[in-house]
Parts: sequence; C-alpha cells; structure tokens
Amino acid sequence: MFFVAPALIVLAAILFYPIVDSVLLALQRVQLAGGAVTQEWIGLGNFTRLFSDPVFWRAALNTAYFSVMEVILVTLISLGVALLLNHPFGRSGFFRILLIIPWAIAPVANAVLWKWILNANYGVLNALLKSLGVIDYNQVWLGTPFSALNFLLIVDVWKSVPFVALLMLAGLQRVPQSLYRAAYMDGAGPWQSFLNVTLPTMRGVIAIAIVLQTIWSLRVFDLVFVLTRGGPADATALLNFLAYRVTFNFLDLGYGSAIANVIFALTFVLAALYVWLLWPREIKGAR
Amino acid sequence: MVHNFNRRQFLGTGALAGAMTTMPGWFEGGAKAQSAALNVFSPLPPDPAPPGAAKFSEEAFAKWQADNGATVAYETLAWPQLHDRMATAFASGAAPWDITYNCGWVPEFESFLTPYADNLPKALVDDLPATSFATTTVGGKRYGAVFTLSLLTLFYNKELMEQAGFKEAPKTWDEFKACAKEMTRDGRFGFVLNYGDPAGIGGTASYWMVFLQQAGGKVYGEDGMPAFKSDEGVAALQMMVDLMPSTDPGSISYAGINDATNVLLAGRAGMMMNWPFMWNAGNDPKQSQIVGKMTSAVLPAGLKGSASIDGTDAWTITKASKNQDKAQKLIEFYLDAEVQKRQVLDTGWLPIRLSVLADPEVQAKAPNAAVVLEQAKHPYDSFVTADYNQVTVAIGTEVQKALQGSKTAAQAIADAQDAVTAIVKRRG
Amino acid sequence: MTFARLQQGGPLRQVMVIAGLILFTCWSAGPVLWLILSSVLEQKALIAQPPDLSPRNFTLENFSTVIGAAASLGRGIVNSLIVAVFSTALALALGAPAAYALARLPVPRANNISFLILATQMLPGIAIAIPLFIVISRLGLIDNVLSLGVVYLSFNLPIVIWILRGFFLGIPAGIEKAAAIDGAGIFATFWHIILPISLPPLSAAAVFAFVEAWNEFFFALILTRQQAQTTPLVIANFAGQYQTVFGQMMAAAVISVAPVILLAILFRNQIIRGFADGMMKG
Repeated sequence: MFFVAPALIVLAAILFYPIVDSVLLALQRVQLAGGAVTQEWIGLGNFTRLFSDPVFWRAALNTAYFSVMEVILVTLISLGVALLLNHPFGRSGFFRILLIIPWAIAPVANAVLWKWILNANYGVLNALLKSLGVIDYNQVWLGTPFSALNFLLIVDVWKSVPFVALLMLAGLQRVPQSLYRAAYMDGAGPWQSFLNVTLPTMRGVIAIAIVLQTIWSLRVFDLVFVLTRGGPADATALLNFLAYRVTFNFLDLGYGSAIANVIFALTFVLAALYVWLLWPREIKGAR
Repeated sequence: MVHNFNRRQFLGTGALAGAMTTMPGWFEGGAKAQSAALNVFSPLPPDPAPPGAAKFSEEAFAKWQADNGATVAYETLAWPQLHDRMATAFASGAAPWDITYNCGWVPEFESFLTPYADNLPKALVDDLPATSFATTTVGGKRYGAVFTLSLLTLFYNKELMEQAGFKEAPKTWDEFKACAKEMTRDGRFGFVLNYGDPAGIGGTASYWMVFLQQAGGKVYGEDGMPAFKSDEGVAALQMMVDLMPSTDPGSISYAGINDATNVLLAGRAGMMMNWPFMWNAGNDPKQSQIVGKMTSAVLPAGLKGSASIDGTDAWTITKASKNQDKAQKLIEFYLDAEVQKRQVLDTGWLPIRLSVLADPEVQAKAPNAAVVLEQAKHPYDSFVTADYNQVTVAIGTEVQKALQGSKTAAQAIADAQDAVTAIVKRRG
Repeated sequence: MTFARLQQGGPLRQVMVIAGLILFTCWSAGPVLWLILSSVLEQKALIAQPPDLSPRNFTLENFSTVIGAAASLGRGIVNSLIVAVFSTALALALGAPAAYALARLPVPRANNISFLILATQMLPGIAIAIPLFIVISRLGLIDNVLSLGVVYLSFNLPIVIWILRGFFLGIPAGIEKAAAIDGAGIFATFWHIILPISLPPLSAAAVFAFVEAWNEFFFALILTRQQAQTTPLVIANFAGQYQTVFGQMMAAAVISVAPVILLAILFRNQIIRGFADGMMKG
C-alpha cells in the first residue's frame, strides 16, 4: 500500500474537486449574469433535455461509429507495424524514429497540415491522386458527411498508431525467445507460432491498448475543431466537440457538463467491459 | 525628465513590459505617484492589434505610457483562442484584464464590462460612424468602441471578370449570378466562400445575414423574437443556393476564411466576400498569384440594395478593472487620429475615424478604404445578441443543409426559425 | 542457424515484410515530408494546383522569421521542456512503484483500485477545465509552468500506471521467489531486479508522458497567460482569424518536433538494450 498511496494522493488532490464539481454542474443550470455566475439546481433537467436533442443523438451516432472503427483500426495496424518493426529487417533505428514522428508533431500543427493536404481546391492529396490517374476531378474530401467523418478517422488513426505500436513493440520484445524455439521444435509454422505464442503473451498489452484507445477515441476534439468544426451540417460533430461547443461557445456550463458526463459513463462502461473480457486472468492466478 | 526617459528605454525592449507591472512605482516622481499597470488582452497580428502588440506607433505608445504614468502589459493570443480564454476567466470570476478585445461578444459578456463608451469625448464620438456602436450597445448603454472599420465587401479578380465579359463588378443579384456563372470554366469557379463553420462572425450564418439584409430582411423583430421566416429570409438563402453551381464545391468544407481566401489568391475563383485585410494579402507576391489583378467593390444589391455585416473589432473595459479612467484614456489613445492613421498605413487595418478614412494619404495607400466607406452607407448589422454563437450555429447548420441540397431553402429557414425561437425562449 | 532463418521467414514472407515496411514508410513519412516541404515553400507555390515545386519557390524565410521574431518560440520550448520533464519524471517515480504494487503485491482490491485510477481519465478535459481553473487561480498559480506540470502529471500518471502494471503482471513469478531466497526485501527486489528488466515498458511510458505533456494544448490555453506559454500555444499563434501564416506555422512545428526526435533517438537505444537484456535472461 505504501507503494500505491503517493500516486493516489496526488491524483485525488488534483482531480477530485474538478471531477465532483463537473458532476454537480451537470445537475444545474448555470448562467453568466450580473458580473457573476448564477447557478440553479434543476436535477436531471439537463439530461432530459439532452435525450430530446437531435444534435446530441447525431453526435452520439457519429461518436459510436468513430470510436468503434478507430479502436479496431488502430489495434490492427499497430499490431502489424509492431510485427514489422520486430522482424529482423525492420529493427533499424530509422523505422523506430519514423514511427514516432506522426505522434510527436504538435496536434494543432498536425490538424492544420491535414487541412491543407485535404483541401478540395489546392490540397496535395487531390494533386497526387490526379497525377496518378486515380481521380479525374478534385474531390471535396471533407464535403460530404460520410467522407468527412472517415477522413477525420484516418487522420486520427495516423497519429494514434505510433504510440500503440510502440507499446506493442515493447510487448513483443518481452515474448521469450525460448517459447518460439519450443514452438519451432514442435514443428509449428510461423502462423501457428503467432497464434499460439505471440498472441497469448501479448494479451495483456493488447487489452491495455484497446482500453486506452477507447478512452482516447471518445474524447477526440482538436481534429474536429480545426478540420471541420463539426460540419458540414453536424456530420462530423463528435460528443466531445459538442461538449466543447456547448460549454465554451454557448457558455451553457451545466448542459456541457451533462454531455461530458455522458461521455464519462460511456467510457466507463466500455472500459469495464473490455477489461472484463480481455484481461488475462490466468497470469493473475499464477501470482 | 530623466525618469521618463529611462522608462521609455525600458519599454522599448518590449519583453520587459510584463516584468514592469510587478514592480512598485518607485521611479515615479511625486507628481506622478499614481502609476497604473494596465493589462490588455489582445489578438495577435496579423489580426487587428493595438500599438505595441502590432508594429505601429510604438514611439507614441511609449510616450503615452510615460506621460500618463501607466505601464501597459499585453496578453496576446491567437484570435481563435481569445473567446475560450475570456469565457473561462469570466465564468470563474478571475479575469485579470483592464481592457479586453471584443468581437461581437459584448452582449454575451456585458455583465462583466463597463459602459465606458458613453463617456468618450464628443469630438471623438462625432468622428466615428454612429452605426459602429450597434454591436457594442446593450440596453441603450455603450460598452465598447470599434477601432477598425471592418465590413465585408466584394473582392474579385479583374482579369477573370473581363474574360467572362464583364467590365465592372456586378451591381445586382442577377448580374452577380450571371457573372459567377460565366466565370466558372477551365477548372475555375465564379465564387468561393467558407461555408464549413456555421458559427460566429464570418461563419455560414453570418454570410446568410448579408444576403438577408440585401433582400431587406431582419433576423429579429421588434419584440426580440426571431422574424426571419419571411420572403426575404427564404430569398436570401435561395440566392446562396442558386450560386452553388458556380461556387467552388470545396466551400462547404472550408472551416476558415483563410481556406477560401487562398483559392481566390491562387486565381481559381473569381469573386468572394472578404474583410479589408484582403487588400494586403492579395497584393503580397509571396502569398498571391493575382498581384495587381484584385479589386474591391461594394457588395451587389438585392431587392433592398446593398448590405454587409460588421466585423465588430472593439475595445472594452472590464468591471473588475481598478484603473477605469486610465483604461479609457488608453482606448482614446488607440483611437487617436495619428495612431489610427499609422494603423492603416503600417498594418493595413482600416481606421474607424471618418476623418482618417477620408485622408488622401490613407486612401492612396489603402485604395479599398473608399469602397468600405461606401459600403458603410448601406446596412451592416451583425445581429449580435447574448446567444449569438448558439443562434448562428442553429441557423448556419440549416443553411448548410440547404446548400448541400438536402433541404429546400424554405424548409431550412422554417426549421432555423423554430430552433432560434427555442434558444431565445430558453434564455428567458 | 535454422531458428534464425525461421525468424526471417521464407522468401514469400520476406517480400511481404519488405512491402509492409515500404508501405509503413510511405504512410508515416508522406505527410511528414509534406510538412517539411510546406515549411520551406512560399505560400503561393503551395496554393498552386498541382503544387509548384520549382526551385525558385523555395525559401528559408519561414524559419528565419520564426526564429528571429519569435522569442516566444524559444520561451515556449523552454517552458514545454520544463513541464514535460517535470511531469514525466514524477509520473515515472510515482507510477512505477504503484504499478508494481498493484500488479504483484498483495494490495487489497488491486483491480478495483487500478480501474478507479483509470476512471479519472474518462471524464473529458473540457468538463474539468473550468473547476480546475478556479482552483488554480485561487491558489494564484495561473501562468505557472509547475502548476501546468502538476496538472499534466495527473493526466499521465494513470496511463503510466496502466502501461507498467500490464508489463509487471507478465513477469514470471519465479523471479521474485529467487530474489526472496537471496534475502532481498520488497524494495530491493523492485529496485535491483524488476526495474532493470522493465526498461522497454519504462521507456514506452516515459516517451508517452513526455510527448503528451509536450503537445498538450487545451489546458495550456486555459491555465497560462503569457509567461508560461508552451510550444503548442506558440504554434497555434500562427493561425489567426483572417489569415493562417501556414509556412511559419509548419516551420515552428518542424522546430518543435526536434527535441522529441532527439528523445526518441536516446530512448531507442534504451529499448534495444532492454531487448538485449531480455534475450540474455530468456
């Protein structure tokens, strides 16, 4: 317990009040008036308003699609990248540095960079695809709901893969070589040794990656803010962007907190579910 | 005045100004014992910024501080982040500023501001366009003074317009549509605008408000309730929809005006609405491929004549400020005729003082000043209210649906009116 | 060595790996290459379609402007370094023992405590920004790099604990038994045995904490004013309402990535050494 206490105390000292306050805010109607902030208790009023708000449902649907796809894509791509970089050909330091760069670029600059790349008129993606003959006319990548949401997804996957791949690479390096050797002796092919040796050993790491990525994908904000502002016509409004807009643009602090608390509840349930499903119990038993 | 000389030297280094605010005023002589530290919250250039934050009138600024026994510290931030930081500080009751920049947010933050502009000297007020106070007036009291005349006007590519067979800028909606249609060829478009972000001044809803006023409509009725579900409201949106075939299809995805500006600067769009800063950008050989080809004109007239909206860049004083008088003096200095003149000559942002706008030297350096002055003779209400952000998101989102063809103009306007009515009623 | 051959795989697998690496290189480097090009081209060349890459459009002016005019970028980088190093060091110092205890020591309800720790990260930052601002401004610590560092610590610590706990759980139980037989106490075991074999996850966690603190934008916006501005804020300053000075922004981004790359080069060696150690023991 002595090992854990300092961390818990630090977390409680910093986050306890803000978290409790945000839950309380969600139960109030808050207005800026008379040079001060007036607060009025309205119970679950913000939540009933929320559930009859079509924009909220639109954003919830967008978020569901976005985070499910993101978790799947990031996990699979990261695992693939980690396997590549763990292969004798991929062990050069060059690849490892390259892996980290997309994640290291400041998100603000990253989002603006992609805004230029994806621009419908002078973006380099259009220019490249035209010169390769893939498309004949400039495409408005961020102009239609489905395409815009998917491009947000691609950009977010691009910057999320590095860390998860790094995590998995570290995990791969912990798989004892003796296990592969044993599998080889038993006549297992590469695919079988991946299934029977690599994946089971990596289970804990993959579980962490999925849980963390779920948390992060439910709170994507900066990309939406720079690339689309939730548009066109709320097609790319994600829940966290909505929470931001309501809190900081509309100054409707109570309602914004209610949306944030919905995100919290969603994340909590999903993360608990994943931990329950994926966490390697047998290792715990061996303690 | 050795002391003052020292101070001026100090301030010349700029970065030390912040440190100065924490120093006791011990190098003030007896006569100037009341040293005041003024904290000013300002956008960063190239957005409109005051002397000291932007590079103009720096000597006059140092002299003003010395003469008035005041030290001014700027807290600067990129424009897109200003509102968030102000909102957080005000909502927490911990705003540290004496003077803040404001842009259509006066009704929203009114309770944290003082109506100092009612006390400005008459000579100064008489030299400002009366309508410039529209966006800073709440309940009959003036909370701010606009410091740059920033109205949307039409910017266009002369060369493309001549190729399309037009000798001068379109004067009416019909000419505008025809001209845009003719210019749309060879991978170029007649018109470009940023329709991606529904909210705020310069967002989709505010562009519709331009057309709305050209059609003779208003957003709110006398009772303060929305009143745009009208022929004018629908006609304005229909005009935008009619322009879509000649509009860069990327427009619906451009979230900032910079995205659209670049298309005009690349020579691949013929016309757009833009703010006065565009003049310098369009003639900068590093950014622009249409140097010398760009001109500005008054926006075309709808049923009721031309109209525009107001950028509303204003200075306000916070209630919490302990230096109300000095703060007002500083704003008066920002609006001083000579400072206003340097503002336009050195930064390109037009002055707000009519006398400076009429100055031949100013008109020579900023040929669009005359156009903006002309535009200012027509209506340019931005319809800012305490709910402005929320209202523009509601209207802008419906406008986007009509532009995408998923709703008719009439349907979108009807739905927008319902949404805005709900917002206004909730406010109570 | 047939086993080593096996790890390389047959010709088909080798081709697939090479193709995969090429794809990975394009995917990662493509946009980065464009970032670099954007920082050295004039804006008028970038808005041409297709972009005009002729030599006369290349310029280093963006870099000279950013370095020359923006003393603020220098200050931003210093602030970011302080914030990132401070919060990373504390996150590891507090997180590693906590993770070890939660993974391998008989802490009651270890799973629930771990989940509670993670749950603190599930509420979006936007919701806690205003309450947090109120607390910090009452303490008079707005615009202070260390208060920002402490806030980042609270964001990074739970993630660091989770990353490390996962790895500690995977360490074979025999190691501690062997240590106990040698007479080592809990502290000694943790310090002399567990930490040295955990270099790869420790570096992963450190890199994570560092990069997140280095790049965080929203709380830096809310909790600083002028003196404590971090790099992301300085970079965002190039995007105004009317104009985005794109080239300068990209130049600032290139400059700000450099320290992280330097760190990555340092930690790459750590990861590889950790890997080698693992091999010896395996």
